[in-house]
Amino acid sequence: MKLKTAAFGIFAALLVIALSGRLPAAEKTVLLKNGQVITVSGETIAGGDILVSGTKIVKVGKGLAAPAGAEVIDLAGRWAMPGIIDAHSHIGLEGDVNEMGALLTPEVDCRDVINPKDINIFYALTGGVTSIHTMHGSANPIGGKGIALKMRWGKSAAELVFEGAPLTSKWALGENPKRSNMSGMGPARYPRTRMGVEESIRDEFEKAKDYLKEWAEYEKKARAARYSKGKITPPLPPKKDYHLEGVADILSGKLWVRCHAYQSEEMLSIMRLCREYGVKLVCFEHGLEGYRITNELVQYGVAIATFEDFWGYKWEAYNTMPQAASLCAKRGVLVAIASDDAERMRHLFNDAAKSVRFGGATEAEALRMLTINPAKILGVDSRVGTIEPGKDADLAVFNRHPLDPFAVCEITMVDGAVYFDRAKYLEERKKTKDEAKKKVPEKKDGGEV
Amino acid sequence: MRKLAAIFIATILAAAALLSSQGEQARLFIKNATIIPVLGERIEGGGILVEGGKIKAVGKALEAPADAAVIDASGMFVYPGFIDSYSHFGLAEISSIPATTDYREIGKENPELRVVWAINPHSVHFGTGRVTGTTSALVAPAGGTFPGISALVRMDGWTVPEMVVKEAATSFINFPMTPRPVGEGLTVQKEAKEDVTSKLVEKIRDYLKEARRYLELKKAAAAGAGVVAPEYNAKYEALAPVLDGTLPVIVSVEKAKDIELAIKFVQDEKLKAIFRGCAQGFKVADKIKQSGIPVIIDSLYTGPSEPEDGYDAPYRNVVELARAGVLISFSSGDSPAAGKDLPYHAAKAVAFGLPREEAVKALTINPARIFGVADRLGSIEAGKDADLLIAAGDPLDFRTEVKHLVINGRAIDMANWWETLYEKFKGRPEK
Repeated sequence: MKLKTAAFGIFAALLVIALSGRLPAAEKTVLLKNGQVITVSGETIAGGDILVSGTKIVKVGKGLAAPAGAEVIDLAGRWAMPGIIDAHSHIGLEGDVNEMGALLTPEVDCRDVINPKDINIFYALTGGVTSIHTMHGSANPIGGKGIALKMRWGKSAAELVFEGAPLTSKWALGENPKRSNMSGMGPARYPRTRMGVEESIRDEFEKAKDYLKEWAEYEKKARAARYSKGKITPPLPPKKDYHLEGVADILSGKLWVRCHAYQSEEMLSIMRLCREYGVKLVCFEHGLEGYRITNELVQYGVAIATFEDFWGYKWEAYNTMPQAASLCAKRGVLVAIASDDAERMRHLFNDAAKSVRFGGATEAEALRMLTINPAKILGVDSRVGTIEPGKDADLAVFNRHPLDPFAVCEITMVDGAVYFDRAKYLEERKKTKDEAKKKVPEKKDGGEV
Repeated sequence: MRKLAAIFIATILAAAALLSSQGEQARLFIKNATIIPVLGERIEGGGILVEGGKIKAVGKALEAPADAAVIDASGMFVYPGFIDSYSHFGLAEISSIPATTDYREIGKENPELRVVWAINPHSVHFGTGRVTGTTSALVAPAGGTFPGISALVRMDGWTVPEMVVKEAATSFINFPMTPRPVGEGLTVQKEAKEDVTSKLVEKIRDYLKEARRYLELKKAAAAGAGVVAPEYNAKYEALAPVLDGTLPVIVSVEKAKDIELAIKFVQDEKLKAIFRGCAQGFKVADKIKQSGIPVIIDSLYTGPSEPEDGYDAPYRNVVELARAGVLISFSSGDSPAAGKDLPYHAAKAVAFGLPREEAVKALTINPARIFGVADRLGSIEAGKDADLLIAAGDPLDFRTEVKHLVINGRAIDMANWWETLYEKFKGRPEK
């Protein structure tokens, strides 16, 4: 009872503070002032300021006054953009991300293997990346569950998870589940063709439907038993099957499907399949031939998380071009430029610039491919992807326009906290070096040190 | 506009074909250009006369001869064509399909293999790789300790002999490498102890010693010294120009410790070496400078060799090597599909502090010097080969379009695999 009263008291106090527009004392306020603010949602503001309170952006504009006690970061004309979001990544995970032992593995979950100590989280920050979608590999037609993470370097595994982001189901079509490019991986496994890949998914859907039916029947009988006043013997529940539960979550739309696919025709096939079963197909991963079927992608409303110019490493990645991202975007496809690679991840802003040269994306479109578009694909666009009041204070500051080839990321902020500061980093490095120099004892001629 | 340009180029090509078929040398004139000769001052509103595959004249007051095909480069910038210092152009089409790859032979010691035997001049990667201004490339074999002999080729030609600038450009030695530490959470690889690396170096020394003995015996036998000539050995034969220092050898080496070992190795063996990689070169930049060994920078799509080196180590490395005065050049690295990124690497280094002028040199005159062709390539000067790039803006900026390429005196067709796909599929009606 006492506890309840106390809780109510706190709630009321918070409500009063929130309504009065005053900030709790614990909320740190930061004013980033005098920058070129690339809002993505609207115009770029020259000489613009961003006011951050706690984890959120509260004001964006010109000539904002620093509230009392606010930390001020002078951008001195530097460029601030929304933190970059990598829609396709495998970093921050412990070990291998492919489940080779089984064909379909919807029961496995990346959340079980988050590795907050992966140095690539820090490297991501150095390229202005603040959120990622980290996912299962592409060895399985239906792979494991993936999750959006925030690059809160130094925090625990649980704290990296982008709270509220939908869980995803990783699918893979084509050469990887076919194991076309693997040798010495043991005996041949079904499927070896694109036909077999699709069939293996379809087959599993039917099994899951039967499983759900079995449970529904059990529930019905159990309910009848409950109300029969002991006349009907309660039935035994069916065996719980975590594998089929995973498939069931796909069928119910609880899991957002992210489907690795290269060839245009297999994308069309899987779109038909997903429509048939009512699956929430959100995005084709890579989708290098997506430019051939823009009409169909737009009509279905499925996005692509693609490479700007990584190609030619296998047959299904050969029939493409660096113009593809721009062409898709121009024709209304939701396009994100993604990395799939810890190294490429920190070059994403350069990749976006290449789409300006190849296929003629506008600079605004190129920037959307790094920010709000992947945010939509991840289902977190109400939280991140633009610089607007109410959004999370996830920002990347560059010394030049981020699409400029000579730009360097200098500050990366997640939830209003600076996680990477190049100036400080260099300072620390110099300090460490100077100290190391001091520690080297003088060498005396002829003697041992 | 693109069509007009295409027709224009087609006219030039037709004219060129006509003239050469008549046994005359085609002449090409580039006018109204901003010329960056790399060696020498920048020329505004200048002209370049190309004749017989060579640069005939460069300057402000030049007039186009009546019979010359003309490229109007108003508002454009002319640079010497970029030279890619390490690639597998023409040796790999689709890396995962063995039938399309020819750069890695079985076995560890293959110093006699020559890439000119295998280059496919019509690989799509020549066409896509040159869109950012590359006009010639070192095509390298890979794998094992002695992968073979590279060729320096132009990025255009009907046949390999037509493309070749230097048929045997360099030999290779893959220096034993102390392995990189693997990231947190994975199986931590123990660093190989130095003596393991040294032992492997000893193996290479032994192999070279055998080759020397073979060559000496052969010489002695030929001189009638009463010794029996050894049985012909193609591998040792191929090492002869390496051992006498006439054929440069590219030594791949990454770690600071290994670099020091490699310098000693190269000096002891009296090789004419070029280093490739040198990821931790910044730690021993002065020593590399002192050795006089140039360095080919690998693709900058790479992380630090060790996390302790700092996140920006690959870029900082380039800056520090240049600052120490090491002769550096850029390369696109292992994947010909990433060939177009050659100037990207240069731009990345500039972003982190490499002077822009140095970056341009590292794409032009530096590689020309490293490969011993500075009398032919690497700058815009009368008498040099006419390998030029004509760009709408800064060619280090990956947003810039390279409008024309002149290779071996010819304004080449810029069409490529990507353009073919783009032209076709942007024509699909929208619904």
